[in-house]
Amino acid sequence: MKKIVLFVLGPDRPGIIATISKVLFESDCNLEDVSQTILQREFISIVIASLNESADEKIVLEELRSHLEPLGLYVHLKTMSGSPVLPQHVGESFVITTVGPDRPGLIAGISEVLARHNINIANLKAVSRVDQQPPHYITIYEVDIPPFTDFHEFRTALYARAKELTLDINLQHREIFEQIHQV
Amino acid sequence: MLNEREIIATLEMLRNENLDVRTVTMGISLFDCASHDSERFIANIRAKIMRLAGTLVDTCDEVGLKYGIPVVNKRISVSPIAVAAAGFSSAEMCRIAGALDELARQLRIDFIGGFGALVEKGFTKGDLALIEAIPEALATTDRVCSSVNVASTHAGINMDAVALMGRTIKRAADMTADRDGIGCAKLVVFANIPQDVPFMAGAYLGVGEPDAVINVGVSGPGVVKKAIDRAREANPDLDLGRLSEIIKRTAFKVTRVGELIGRTVSDKLKVPFGVVDLSLAPTPNVGDSVGEIFQSLGLKSIGNPGSTAILAMLNDAVKKGGIFASSHVGGLSGAFIPVSEDLNIAEAAKNGHLTIEKLEAMTSVCSVGLDMVAIPGSTSAETISGIIADEMAIGVMNNKSTAARLIPVPGKKAGDRASFGGLLGEATILNIPDDGGSAGFIRLGGRIPAPVHSFRN
Repeated sequence: MKKIVLFVLGPDRPGIIATISKVLFESDCNLEDVSQTILQREFISIVIASLNESADEKIVLEELRSHLEPLGLYVHLKTMSGSPVLPQHVGESFVITTVGPDRPGLIAGISEVLARHNINIANLKAVSRVDQQPPHYITIYEVDIPPFTDFHEFRTALYARAKELTLDINLQHREIFEQIHQV
Repeated sequence: MLNEREIIATLEMLRNENLDVRTVTMGISLFDCASHDSERFIANIRAKIMRLAGTLVDTCDEVGLKYGIPVVNKRISVSPIAVAAAGFSSAEMCRIAGALDELARQLRIDFIGGFGALVEKGFTKGDLALIEAIPEALATTDRVCSSVNVASTHAGINMDAVALMGRTIKRAADMTADRDGIGCAKLVVFANIPQDVPFMAGAYLGVGEPDAVINVGVSGPGVVKKAIDRAREANPDLDLGRLSEIIKRTAFKVTRVGELIGRTVSDKLKVPFGVVDLSLAPTPNVGDSVGEIFQSLGLKSIGNPGSTAILAMLNDAVKKGGIFASSHVGGLSGAFIPVSEDLNIAEAAKNGHLTIEKLEAMTSVCSVGLDMVAIPGSTSAETISGIIADEMAIGVMNNKSTAARLIPVPGKKAGDRASFGGLLGEATILNIPDDGGSAGFIRLGGRIPAPVHSFRN
């Protein structure tokens, strides 16, 4: 068995997932993981599917394009590489939240500190709050902090960067959110 | 993946609503420190407390940083000194208080509790020596807290102890006359004192407790108030049943935080976890007030008719939410109404909305009692004892903890202001009807028998 990663991007409308799954089903592909999200009006989906060694992914791609491109959707397909590139640390999950006036370079500034400390971003969500004056920008990073990270040094660097960016920042262990909101 | 609304809601609780862990209190048994020599006893308690609590403050700060939830106070509660140091004189008891104060200073602990006695059924020599030592011990130390349990549902009310505590409170006030009688702010008289209270001034480590234990006191009146305000804004038709549900859910969240922090501190220090005390404990800061909750629930001020009903609902909802959130709930667990420690309640007392009589009525449904109530310095010991006796009767008959922390402010009269500083706050002195009318009753002494419903064996 081999695996493919499929990426679909374009204006949202009902029936996109139905079309993707129908084509994959008819091409003898088995869906393994599906993720979809909508940012403003843009639909984005990533699908991982397995198919027989003898199957030709080029045909699958052509079939998908013939159905999806008329809907204005961009389709990309690649064969999934074998081993993961990331080192698999058993780290602890933290949540970083920043709140502040929207301006360019906020995510670049924060993620640079994370990258420098070898901290992987597991999830990132950014929300514009245009209802507030000046418009506020909230970002939520779910990150994995490896066990060898100097927590205090990282925290200091992160808070210093947030100060430069005039962001109100919070770094908290993920468990606190789970404890408060999940029974 | 976490829900972004939940993350933002938690952030709001933390940033704007004063969500914190009010206290992590380490209980330390002093029974194995016993010695016939007081200096040796002091050396033993010093060694034991330093060994167990040496890193308490740093550990709490570290855990607070990790979770982004501040642990505001770090405290120690010890075995009742009247029992652990039973053989010593009152002068020696004062030296022990001095040593505890010095230890607290070294460890950067804000209060150390347990300079107390349990006398609901009668006095031992140690109990009498300790009570004799209380005024001087509290006048010469900053961080030592004292509690004396004078009544219980099982034993009844020790009226000799009630009389003695009236006189002791007067002496404690006189010996700290230059500081508005602050000695009395660190002294509380209890009925049915729980063995595991983490909150001061009542914290001590009961005789049935382990050698060392971590108890946690959560707080969060600001969080509860804002939750009610938000819910009412979103739906102005909410009735009290629905609002009580909102309080319950909020208490659940706050308690979960306390439980998590407490268990983490306990794991790091390798000291067993005891209980979460899920009380709404205010501070003299805007937005951290129990009194404001009464306004959010429709009263103009705490003290207006309806206050006892609101407090009953609030106390019950807090308990229900908290009990579900924690595996072990203990301490006082309910709403505190300390007059000077709550800006809004202090204001209600100043404006005449809250009288001593209404406060007493409210204590029949809250978890503590007459707490941080400043009264005229001229109030007689017998009248103070009369107020204590009434408060103890409420606890004994209702099978609950009640307490009296009364501060007769030397040289000041009703309407004057008394200031105790820091968390203890400031308050207007309440009017106390004192025509000597309680003296005859207090002089009778003896023990008021236990109520019939205490015989459940």
